[in-house]
Amino acid sequence: MSRFILIILLFISTLFGYDATIEIVKRMDTLPKIAVENSSYSFFDQNINKKFFKLLVGDLKVTSHFIVYEDIAKKEYDSSFLDNTLIDKNVELAIRCKLETDDQKNIIASVKLVNIKNARLLYEKFYKISQKERFPFLAHKITMDINSFIGAEPIEWMQKFVIFAKYTDKRESEIVISDYTLTYQKTIIKGGLNVFPKWANSDQNSFYYTTYNTPIPTLYKFDLFSGNKTKIVSSEGMLVCSDVSKDGSKLLLTMAPNDQPDIYLYDLRSKRKQKLTSYRGIDVNGNFVDDDTRIIFVSDRLGYPNIFAKEIGSRGVEQMVYFGKNNNSCTALGKYIAYSSRESDSEFGPKTFNLYLISTETDYVRQLTATGKNLYPRFADSGTILFIKHYKNQSALGVIRLISNKSYQFPLRVGKIQSIDW
Amino acid sequence: MKKIALVSIAAALLLLTGCSQKRPQIDMTKQQQAEQQVQPSMADSKISAAVSIDDAGVETSQMQDKISAKIAHLEAESKIIYFDFDRYNIKMDQKPRVEYNAELFNSEDAKDLSVKIEGNCDEWGTDEYNYALGLKRAKTVKNALNALGVSNDRMLIVSYGESNPACTEHERECWRKNRRAEFKLLP
Repeated sequence: MSRFILIILLFISTLFGYDATIEIVKRMDTLPKIAVENSSYSFFDQNINKKFFKLLVGDLKVTSHFIVYEDIAKKEYDSSFLDNTLIDKNVELAIRCKLETDDQKNIIASVKLVNIKNARLLYEKFYKISQKERFPFLAHKITMDINSFIGAEPIEWMQKFVIFAKYTDKRESEIVISDYTLTYQKTIIKGGLNVFPKWANSDQNSFYYTTYNTPIPTLYKFDLFSGNKTKIVSSEGMLVCSDVSKDGSKLLLTMAPNDQPDIYLYDLRSKRKQKLTSYRGIDVNGNFVDDDTRIIFVSDRLGYPNIFAKEIGSRGVEQMVYFGKNNNSCTALGKYIAYSSRESDSEFGPKTFNLYLISTETDYVRQLTATGKNLYPRFADSGTILFIKHYKNQSALGVIRLISNKSYQFPLRVGKIQSIDW
Repeated sequence: MKKIALVSIAAALLLLTGCSQKRPQIDMTKQQQAEQQVQPSMADSKISAAVSIDDAGVETSQMQDKISAKIAHLEAESKIIYFDFDRYNIKMDQKPRVEYNAELFNSEDAKDLSVKIEGNCDEWGTDEYNYALGLKRAKTVKNALNALGVSNDRMLIVSYGESNPACTEHERECWRKNRRAEFKLLP
């Protein structure tokens, strides 16, 4: 009996000792080694071809589900799959890819996934895009399909559009749509100060943004298909759309109709707003959590910016983070919160901002970045965080893959990233 | 001169009557002549109206120039209020500057103008928080000015976060210059 109780106790202690953050950082035991083969003809646009294969190799690395053999061999598309060099290098898989254009100037990608060990074709797929500048999404889609074929964790985020605002001059900014590597970029809003773009829905066919080109800050919804914009709401002082509910019907806004920045729940159907916070300092950056029944937000109610939560409709406020003295932005997914925290001077430099990940169920804290100013974290899925990185006068889009504990940066050539959404 | 006019009218009548038109056409011509006579006077009135509008335009423009010059002078005279990192309270050393501004905004030259207080931040931190911080800075200054007699009705506040730097170097002195509230005067 005592042995039985001991086993039960051991089980309970294991259960409670188990840290919720571990499950999203667990590492795959063995990763397949993969090579990329270029089968495009020399008369295909070599500029695009070169960038495409570089992106494909990069994408495979970013998945963290492969060991990537970086030498891209030139191969005839229909030649034999037997390759002793790759076998000697312990490569297990190869992607053979050919880009060409058809009569309608579409880019066609023919892709073969090959098992190098037995020289057999695993699958052949064909892809087509009509706008050649969107070729990065071709690489992302091919990577997603290979990732899916080997049964790895989905990486649907890879083919989503990123929307960001960048400062180009004093009180001048642009709103740009891009892929996650910033290789594809299309400016949507230009002229004056337009900031804080936020996707209106998961289909990414419209977005909200704040313009300062009107007498008072105004939130617009921009439809990407029609090019029409619709005024949503205006507020003196400031106005930010921080989050959109899952069904797209409600917005979390930071606005200041009475000169006081507070978080409001705005119902798009009834056009009514409900004030959710009423602290006389700063309340900002509301994020829906727990099926849109609660919010987490940033407040300076302790004398410094920190992360708090409250149930929508109730008065109580709960402190969520007990580390750091300047935690000024946050994002949540399920029981996880990622936030940006200002550090004191360290060996990495003076006063950096780093990202941290916590679980709301334990007191475990995991540091995600070490250098530069790392801000504005946004969960893409449970294993991926997008963020803004400012480092040595350069602004970049950062991607953290929690599974591999790796971070990737994609620098912006011109301007400074103001805010992002995924 | 009168002679020339009479001769001209006679010649015109001869020309008109010499067009082998019988019936009331001549009467119509007379009517046209009458209309033609009216038209110049209408045109004159339009011209004179246009002239008077132009005069008013000149006056308005001159007045606007005067107001613009006054505003530019007052804005240049106003003192920027600086803040500590991540703070929005008015520091002791900034209080005389706020008092100076209150006096300036209540002066005879400025008393009919509105005061727009713009809150700004340095490049540190997330911009969403910085917009709120900039707003609190503007709000604190508004409250202080109101306590010194500047009517709340005359003041409006806006935050530009870090989008409107006074200095773009990445150094401590520059960041200090950017943590500020500054003033725009509006007619």
